[in-house]
Amino acid sequence: MTTAASASAVSPSTSVRVPVWAWALLAFAVFALYFVSQENGALLSAPAAQMLHELTHDARHALGVPCH
Amino acid sequence: MGLSFGSVLRRGVLAGVSAGLAAAVVIWLVVEPVIRRALAIEDMRSMHGGQSAPAGLPTHGGDEPLVSRAAQVVGGAVTAVLVGVAVGVVFAVVFARMRERLPGRGDFGRSMVLATIGFAAVSLLPALKIPSNPPAVGDPGTVGQRTLVYAVVLLLGVAIALLVPVLDQRLVARGTVPATRWAIDVVATVVLVVLVLVLVPGSPDAVPADVPAALLWDFRLASLAQLATMWLTLGLVFGLLLERVAAPKRALEPVAA
Repeated sequence: MTTAASASAVSPSTSVRVPVWAWALLAFAVFALYFVSQENGALLSAPAAQMLHELTHDARHALGVPCH
Repeated sequence: MGLSFGSVLRRGVLAGVSAGLAAAVVIWLVVEPVIRRALAIEDMRSMHGGQSAPAGLPTHGGDEPLVSRAAQVVGGAVTAVLVGVAVGVVFAVVFARMRERLPGRGDFGRSMVLATIGFAAVSLLPALKIPSNPPAVGDPGTVGQRTLVYAVVLLLGVAIALLVPVLDQRLVARGTVPATRWAIDVVATVVLVVLVLVLVPGSPDAVPADVPAALLWDFRLASLAQLATMWLTLGLVFGLLLERVAAPKRALEPVAA
């Protein structure tokens, strides 16, 4: 009971108001992560995806993403 | 002290750039030498006309490569920085949303806690279930299945990271003493992680006979070193930058007053 009360007393000073656009930005960042690590032709044309795959190749291996 | 989201986000991007650069240095110094050893094996395969390796194994060589090795090394470093920035943005949004609920002393402590959770949930757990592989390993025919396993384990890692705090909040509401609460949190995390590792099927691939075990081990260790460097740098830089928001204000206030 006392812990719950002190936790709620602390929260107003440490909480940050997160605007709605921040979640769109988060979605974009996750999409960017997908794009550089996983995109292999689902969105791009085959030659463009091949080019992207070859350019990001070493980082994809290093990040542990399954690659060919 | 009110902290605006914009100032959190700016520090997330800056910490992300630092984390990406640190990761790029580790790729260049630690991962690339191992990749070169793996590419030598691929070259051996194509020199023997694919005779030494079973059919269907990756042989990058042969015809003219689309991108030169030098461009691949630079491309890998640029990719590492882009990944750092994107992870930094996600980190900043999650940090801002969770700030009052993150344990840890001050923003530095909170930042390190969140970076540790991030590393464990989306980097270490997938690496334990479906470890990274150098070039010359990996059957192109099973890449879809392996990608699915990787994505599922990553999402389950995020789910565990969200579930355990919910459990913790329930225990707080019930008035459980902190030591018991901590013990239950740890046991719940271990049980969930073990369930994921046991129940999710692993990689269907066998490692080709011409790939030495030492090469595989070195690559997986190098890959984890790179991921750990990225998260550690992100947590350290983000935490230090946020601590600096508060510090000058405290120092200047008496002068202004």
